[in-house]
Amino acid sequence: MPTAYTILRVRVTAQDADTLRALLRDARPDVGGRIGQNPDGSLSFDAYVSPEQAQDLAREGVSVETIEDATANGRARQAEVGEGDRFAAEDAVPQGLALKVQDI
Amino acid sequence: MPYLNINEVESGVISLAAAFPKAELVQLPEPTFEGRTCHALRIGTHRLEPKPAVVLIGGAHAREWGSSEILVNLAADLLHAHTGGTGLAYGGTSFTSAQVRTIMEELDVVVFPLVNPDGRNYSQTVDPMWRRNRNPARSGGNPAAIGVDLNRNYDHLFDYRTAFHPLAPVRVSDDPADPDQVYQGPEPFSEVETRNVRWLLDRFTRTHWFVDVHSYTQKMLYVWGDDQNQSVDPAKNFRNPLFDGKRGLKDGLLYAEFVDEGDADDSAVLAERFCEALKGVRGTEYTPEPAFDLYPTCGTSDDYAYARHILSDQEEEKILAFTIEWGTAFHPPWAEMKKIVLDVDAGLVQFCLTAAA
Ligand SMILES: [Zn+2]
Repeated sequence: MPTAYTILRVRVTAQDADTLRALLRDARPDVGGRIGQNPDGSLSFDAYVSPEQAQDLAREGVSVETIEDATANGRARQAEVGEGDRFAAEDAVPQGLALKVQDI
Repeated sequence: MPYLNINEVESGVISLAAAFPKAELVQLPEPTFEGRTCHALRIGTHRLEPKPAVVLIGGAHAREWGSSEILVNLAADLLHAHTGGTGLAYGGTSFTSAQVRTIMEELDVVVFPLVNPDGRNYSQTVDPMWRRNRNPARSGGNPAAIGVDLNRNYDHLFDYRTAFHPLAPVRVSDDPADPDQVYQGPEPFSEVETRNVRWLLDRFTRTHWFVDVHSYTQKMLYVWGDDQNQSVDPAKNFRNPLFDGKRGLKDGLLYAEFVDEGDADDSAVLAERFCEALKGVRGTEYTPEPAFDLYPTCGTSDDYAYARHILSDQEEEKILAFTIEWGTAFHPPWAEMKKIVLDVDAGLVQFCLTAAA
């Protein structure tokens, strides 16, 4: 897989809200999930970016930590997608994942 | 069994409708850009008088795969349990057969598990991180500019450059090639997928609750998303042009979005009950809170759904609206996703029970 197609999941931590707002405005990374506040007042979020973009995100007051190779993990998940149609048989229906239990 | 491919989401819904007389297949009016027809299910016992409805949608964001599984399995759980006269057990959270019957008899539960089949297919077969639909109309031939972020395409503060403070980091874009994948589209409801959702709300006129299933961050969110909530100054509201250019700053005192205090309380209770039942499954903590965060949003389904009754001035059309952000990753290994399905479905059964009460 050429580097150009690798997307990393990185955790971006900004020292304060102003730094974070400026970063989101300027860099416009693909944000996954929501922004969390850390006990020390800093703020963190996940971004999905190329290795080059990850380097560009790092700046004064901002740290960037690589969590995973999102492209590689995404490919692994694609291998976990069903093929064909498991509900094609006439009597096949989704069963639900809860246990169906008699009342006690 | 692994994740459902897009044909299996559809065939799962269709097979449930065929197997259970208490499930009605609802075909959405507009096929997607790639020509796919979508289906929803209305679940509930037939009664002569109309019933209040809970509308649950998922799969708007392509990469958040498990949302479809959450809704297909929720429908299957309710239908199997009701027909078999059983209760439901999700780990440490369980429901009696009488509670299942209450949901089926008192409510129409409408599930639309896959709003964006074109996007899910692309995410499952090509680019796992794809978020938008696959409409190329505004791409200008640039593959990176294909698609619209459906959860920015609803009609709520769509003209964000006018509505928000210039310094508010609104998470939306009018650039089709925006790398944050939040292109809003050329106008509200420009996309067939959002028009299908609007049609569903129009069709089930007694919809009083709306839940849009997304990932991730383990939260149960309720309105508003454009600014912080307040219940003291009705003049500060999304329709008032006096506050254009002032919305969306977290710490600013310029603006906060008005919400009826009773609605804010009811929304909080529903979100809290959801989180409590979810936690009972295996101890996972979700946080119930208003959707506004450090960055504001606009054009989202939840704000749109709740705002409908304000725009129509019809109190009886009020919809309390929610967004679930399940899990801690877009597509966890299926073994983990199954546990998340149990978590969230337990929360949703409790949500329906609370709504029915
Ligand atoms: Zn989403």
